[in-house]
Amino acid sequence: MMFERLIPHCPVLAVMTLFLGAFLTAIFGRSKAARRILLMLASLLSSFFMALLVKPVFFDGQIISYWMGNWAPRAGYAIGIGFEVDGLSLFFALLVSLTVLLSNLYSLRYIERDDCGDYYCTLALMLGGSVLSLVQTGDIFTMFVMIEIMTFACVALTAFRKRSEGALEAAFKYLIVGCIGSSLVLTGVILLYAQCHTLNMAQLSALLAGNLTPATVFAFALLLTGFGVKSYAVPFHFVAADAYMAAPSSVSMLFSGMVNKAGVYGVIRLCYIIMQSMRLPALQTLLVTLGTLSMFVGVTMALRQHDFKRLLAFHSISQIGYVLTALGLCTALGIAGGLYHAMNHTLFKGLLFLCAGAVWYAAGTTDLDRMGGLSKRMPQTCAIFLIAAFSISGLPPFNGFVSKWIIYQATFEKAAEGGGFGYIVVTVVALVTSVMTLASFIKVAQSVFFGQERPELAHVREVPLSMRIPMWILAVLCVVTGVAPGLVLTYVVAPATYAVTNVTGYINTMMGAGYAESVMTVPAQSIPVDASFAGYYSPVSWLILFAVLLLAFALVALLGKGSRGAVCQDDTGCDDKYAVFFGGERVTRSTVAGSDLFWGFRYNFRHYFRWMGNVHSGVVNDYAAWAVGAGAVIILYLYALL
Amino acid sequence: MINWWILFYILIFPGFLFCLVAAFLLSGIDRKLVARMQKRIGPPILQNFYDFMKLMGKETIIPHEANRAVFLAAPVVGLLALVTVVLFIPIYRFSAFGGIADVVVILYLLTVPAVALIVGGAASGSPYAGVGISREMVAVLSYELPLVMVLLAIGKKVGLALGENAVTFSMANIAAYQNLFGPLIAKWSMIPAALAMLLVIPCEVGCHPFDVAEAETEICEGPLVEYSGAPLGIFKLNYYLKMFVMTALFTALFLGGRGTGYIALDALVFFLCCVCVTAVSMSLVRAVTARLKVEQVFKFYWTVVAGLALISLVLAWFGL
Repeated sequence: MMFERLIPHCPVLAVMTLFLGAFLTAIFGRSKAARRILLMLASLLSSFFMALLVKPVFFDGQIISYWMGNWAPRAGYAIGIGFEVDGLSLFFALLVSLTVLLSNLYSLRYIERDDCGDYYCTLALMLGGSVLSLVQTGDIFTMFVMIEIMTFACVALTAFRKRSEGALEAAFKYLIVGCIGSSLVLTGVILLYAQCHTLNMAQLSALLAGNLTPATVFAFALLLTGFGVKSYAVPFHFVAADAYMAAPSSVSMLFSGMVNKAGVYGVIRLCYIIMQSMRLPALQTLLVTLGTLSMFVGVTMALRQHDFKRLLAFHSISQIGYVLTALGLCTALGIAGGLYHAMNHTLFKGLLFLCAGAVWYAAGTTDLDRMGGLSKRMPQTCAIFLIAAFSISGLPPFNGFVSKWIIYQATFEKAAEGGGFGYIVVTVVALVTSVMTLASFIKVAQSVFFGQERPELAHVREVPLSMRIPMWILAVLCVVTGVAPGLVLTYVVAPATYAVTNVTGYINTMMGAGYAESVMTVPAQSIPVDASFAGYYSPVSWLILFAVLLLAFALVALLGKGSRGAVCQDDTGCDDKYAVFFGGERVTRSTVAGSDLFWGFRYNFRHYFRWMGNVHSGVVNDYAAWAVGAGAVIILYLYALL
Repeated sequence: MINWWILFYILIFPGFLFCLVAAFLLSGIDRKLVARMQKRIGPPILQNFYDFMKLMGKETIIPHEANRAVFLAAPVVGLLALVTVVLFIPIYRFSAFGGIADVVVILYLLTVPAVALIVGGAASGSPYAGVGISREMVAVLSYELPLVMVLLAIGKKVGLALGENAVTFSMANIAAYQNLFGPLIAKWSMIPAALAMLLVIPCEVGCHPFDVAEAETEICEGPLVEYSGAPLGIFKLNYYLKMFVMTALFTALFLGGRGTGYIALDALVFFLCCVCVTAVSMSLVRAVTARLKVEQVFKFYWTVVAGLALISLVLAWFGL
């Protein structure tokens, strides 16, 4: 194979092409054609390099390491900067590559009406490169640097439509809270360096095993809070809603598809590998509590929103809650469920943001109260939206169902295996959150795509093909990962799950064989990974469902045939029989606005919603205070219990 | 190789044919019972079947505002989801798809008919349907919490007794437990859960006093207001099927047992149990109450019914 010798260089090449693309678009981006070619070329090449790694890492179980400038460790000290790609890194790196590629393809037409398109290309490639590097690096300081690049690219992209209302404000909020997160990470890194005299994550992991001194616990708490801020878990979520709403949709897709995944990746890497402390019940409780809070607060706040993208932003928070909860369980099933859900979230949430972008592109607004009846104007977008909405609500046979099922199983089993009654509550919250998710997407469907058509939206037409292609790709992926869960679990999720538990392998690949055994005072405790979790979801049942679905289509076809004569195709010559029933009046506007749809629910929760409204005050001082306060609580909590 | 038994299961028993017969009979009996309770004579048992056949032959009108494909597909999707649920419900020792039957699948498949009703109503473009679907969604939110808690309580109870994994999500295990230890309703700690489940049934099915979504007297049947002809017939059929599916689920969860070993006899006993459950949970409640407001429904389910389910969950947790 000609690529054999290329494989060790792939991680760094993938990152370099993106950064190089960013610099080149900065120089040559004035011309529209040049920047489009550069943008697509860089993202395609980068994805190609990542795809080359699938076989050695996922199928053959290798861990790829790469030392910059060949500065390999000497005398047991890793001075150079290294890249290390195990199953976990590759899992997230593939999500990043896919998101970058599709988002860039989508943005070609999507941002054509904005000025400064060259800045957009530079920043988007910069963001992609930084996150791709973040999930692959084996050096904790490089991780911090990449977080910084990521944060500032995010801030600039949030403010990209600087003349639209709230964009600059959102960017400013993002800047403040993002910097708090970055500073916490930096302080944590400094403390670790002072304690262990190394920045290499593999070596840190070997030195820190069983060595939780007060200084390292402090560093741990700071890093955990820092990554928590980056993953927008409650109570760090406030800025996410503003930023996702103000940013262009292709950027919102980048945010929810990979930026908050970077935070999740950081949490996994930190808790499972660097600190190896997920076995401690105190830490499990902390992560599960954060996750459950995120789930519930995110989804209830989403029910309150009347802007399409802001609603999606709160759902991102809620879905990240699922991921954190599952990862906090520290069982093989939980890790697998969490990773599966992280992947699904990238797929369906990216798709939903693209749908929101398509609606904005076609109709010029994302306000749910000012739309309606778009399904006839944009049939493909509507179909895609329904796929994504059913996926995120976890309806079978779409992908959200599979991962949520594994998560319910995992939390319920955790409750039985000495986890305590609290985990039952977590299971109930997870299940109810899922229904509320469904409710809020019903709201979107009713107010955007169905319901009565607005006269001012009569000019709306379907979006161009280059925007529909990425949407269809994601939609197909949502269905494929839903109906072939066995394959996804075996070939994608299981290697990543194994990597999370394979601490010794991670250390030895980087530091040389035998290093872990010689340095670590406590042998690495791995969580037993058995293949049994793949058996929880049997694809046989879906074969049955397919047979049944086949019947369904036959029935629909029959129905359609029978009623064709009765359908009036155009407006001429139709009588009132084909008009919607309004109780006597000729034409009346529906008075149910999107935000009033779930009145019965909101009325019963009015005190909660009033309180939540006060908490989400929109004042950046409050948001910063929440972040810092939560950080302080996490520090105290870890001191008290570790 | 296709296993031809699967086709038999899907099409004849316990799939389409059995479901449809049971659903028509059950809903007919329900109407008759309500009529007798109100001192009326009531329609013949097969009246629903006659109505259905008549609707199938009527003209289908699709409004201008409607999205044709979604409008027509919605009832069929709901119908299929309901039939699929029946395939997963064990009838005493018989279960069409044994080991894979799972409570979470059933839970999610049960939301599909509601979603079909909602999406179909939304696609019709009528403001009455708009009000109806919002109420239907609140109703789903209402009963989902107690339903989830009932299922978890059973899972814990059965898991503890069978002892293999300490909890279970498997219908097969629940059937096996009742095979060994008798019906779950006879365990005192599960009685609150059974009561909660009995109260969940009418809301899930959408009959009085919880039919806020269809409320004929206020919003002209809500989501169904624009439907006519065959799609309307199928939505009506979905309503009857929901009756059967929910009562069958109750029977499988709480009234299981050893069975006789003869499938035909078992199916008959199973159906009679369904009739009894219908009489208690739907006919009786329907005959003596008036419709609640939507916020009252929500409050009732999240306080009283969820409270009942919680009692069972806590009792099961302490091994009672």
